[in-house]
Amino acid sequence: MIDNVALHARSADTTGATHSGRDALLRVENLSIRFDGAPPDVNVVDDVTLSVAKGKTLCLVGESGCGKSVTALSLMGLLPTPPARIVGGSAYFGGKDLFRMSEREKADMRGNQTAMIFQEPMTSLNPVFTVGDQIVEGILRHRKVSKSEARERALEMLRRVRIPAPEKRMQAYPHEMSGGMRQRIMIAMALANGPELLIADEPTTALDVTIQAQIISLIRQLQDESGMAMILITHDLGVVAEIADEVAVMYAGKIVEAGSVDKIFMDPQHPYTIGLMGSVPSIGRRQGKLATIRGTVPPAELMPKGCRFMPRCPFADVRCVTDPPPLAEITPGHSARCWYAPLEIHRGGVA
Amino acid sequence: MLRYIAKRILIAIPTILIVSVLVFTLQQLLPGDPVLTLAGEERDPQVLAFLREKYRLDDPIPVQYFAWFSQVLQGNLGISLRTDIPVLHLILSKLPVTIELAIFAMVIALAIGIPAGVIAAVRKGTSVDYAANVIALSGLSIPNFWLGILLIMLVSVRWKLLPASGFVPPSEDLWLNIKTMLMPAFVLGTGLSASLMRHTRSAMLGVLRSDYIRTAKAKGLLSHVVIMKHALRNALVPIITLSTLLFGELLAGAVLTEQIFTIPGFGKLIVDAVFNRDYAVVQGVVLCTAVGFIAMNLLADVLYVLANPRLRHAR
Repeated sequence: MIDNVALHARSADTTGATHSGRDALLRVENLSIRFDGAPPDVNVVDDVTLSVAKGKTLCLVGESGCGKSVTALSLMGLLPTPPARIVGGSAYFGGKDLFRMSEREKADMRGNQTAMIFQEPMTSLNPVFTVGDQIVEGILRHRKVSKSEARERALEMLRRVRIPAPEKRMQAYPHEMSGGMRQRIMIAMALANGPELLIADEPTTALDVTIQAQIISLIRQLQDESGMAMILITHDLGVVAEIADEVAVMYAGKIVEAGSVDKIFMDPQHPYTIGLMGSVPSIGRRQGKLATIRGTVPPAELMPKGCRFMPRCPFADVRCVTDPPPLAEITPGHSARCWYAPLEIHRGGVA
Repeated sequence: MLRYIAKRILIAIPTILIVSVLVFTLQQLLPGDPVLTLAGEERDPQVLAFLREKYRLDDPIPVQYFAWFSQVLQGNLGISLRTDIPVLHLILSKLPVTIELAIFAMVIALAIGIPAGVIAAVRKGTSVDYAANVIALSGLSIPNFWLGILLIMLVSVRWKLLPASGFVPPSEDLWLNIKTMLMPAFVLGTGLSASLMRHTRSAMLGVLRSDYIRTAKAKGLLSHVVIMKHALRNALVPIITLSTLLFGELLAGAVLTEQIFTIPGFGKLIVDAVFNRDYAVVQGVVLCTAVGFIAMNLLADVLYVLANPRLRHAR
């Protein structure tokens, strides 16, 4: 299944920092987000609770449209409202509730204590300004420094994200750069003010495979250097195994399983997580067909009343149809949203 | 960049040639005989024949065209049949008036149109947006002459704030010159501001949805910086082009507006010339405005490339 070396790469420092940790840098509790026009009672993000400790990495995993990006954007205050509305929950970052801040306070925090990089490096930079100016602008916004000091800092950031010939690149426009280079610029821009938390929303999805590995290892290296915490949104389980401390698996707007990376990979409990693991191709000898999860995520208007994964679940029964399961702790720091977790006990040997 | 401009100029040359042919031949289709107009009450066939001979009106049309165009190339646009003043002289005396009016009108149009478009886009779907759209639609549908007459009645006749008509050169009395220009420029400018507003609004709406606007917000930039710097700078690219073309149209003279406010600009010159069958003047003025319009097109192309770094390097 997953390459064991990668799996244990970070297991040494995955102590503490559970999803309910008290000393968390970011603590999101019972977050629910609705889109106007969606059927009542169907939230695009529903009752999401997660936390990230200082310097740690939380990976948010799930298929497209499951609410990962919406969650991330809401934490940054970048969710367009309307149509989106935060209908419940709180998000404490360093003691302050992100959802009760004024617009000004949010703007002061963005790009300063919190920063975000996005999925589409090709369109995320403003085409009419040089990349140097775009980085400098972010520094001048939050730091009381002179223009030349800001330029110096921007240049240093370009060096740190390993842009060749950084002095020359300061004057370049985004269209003169490749996707990988532009994502490095985005990273430089995000980290220029030394944020405590970086949210990376599928930062490598739009890039070539060879570039993907470079960008991920760059992000990890920068994180080690700066000690910032990170929420990495991805559906690349190889990356998760390599980089995560904690993992939260989302399905149709809900967290279906959360725990340390070891627990999630060695002892997955939710049928959806197990299915995801089965969908990862391995490099070793082929053993039969690549497993897939049958069916697709139901659209909002057809969302089941009980467990949202029920229509696709091989273990579903009557109870799953009628009652939505809670996110229940299975072992300390490991919880799953399934009536039958742990599956070994309820269903005998599986997976 | 220079090569690009040179290329555009080369492309403009055949356009001007075609325009000159069109101007010359279309005018032949105008009803009426210039000689009869010239001779006035005098209908002596000998006088008429003399006049025809003098202005070579009996030559075949292609011959007339080449005679005229070869003179044009030497900078001689001919002599007004009516007033015996060289056409070039007439044009040069009216051009500053038209240019001044055009600049005034454009400034007013930009000052109203762009801010209104930006506000409508940012407040999309609110009452502000609807109000701006309704006003713009009225601006587009209210005819200039009606607004002009209304303004004269209110501002000049009733309130006696501004002179109703006439023109004073700025060299004579700058303040009075501005006062006479204000109303006609306002009439022209509001009409243009409506289309500028609608273009600004739609360009801004497109830009505000872009990923780089989200990035600008993610940097913590305040919303006025995001809108005025990051969004507007991108939305301006198509607006610059539109403004330049609108300015080109203004240069062609605002016939009705100039008539109403009796401003001695291009519009008035050409209307008088058409009524008087003053061929040389009509040809000269139309050719001149065509060249002006082509020049504005060229300027629009150049500004478009300058405003857009992606094109600047590609050329």
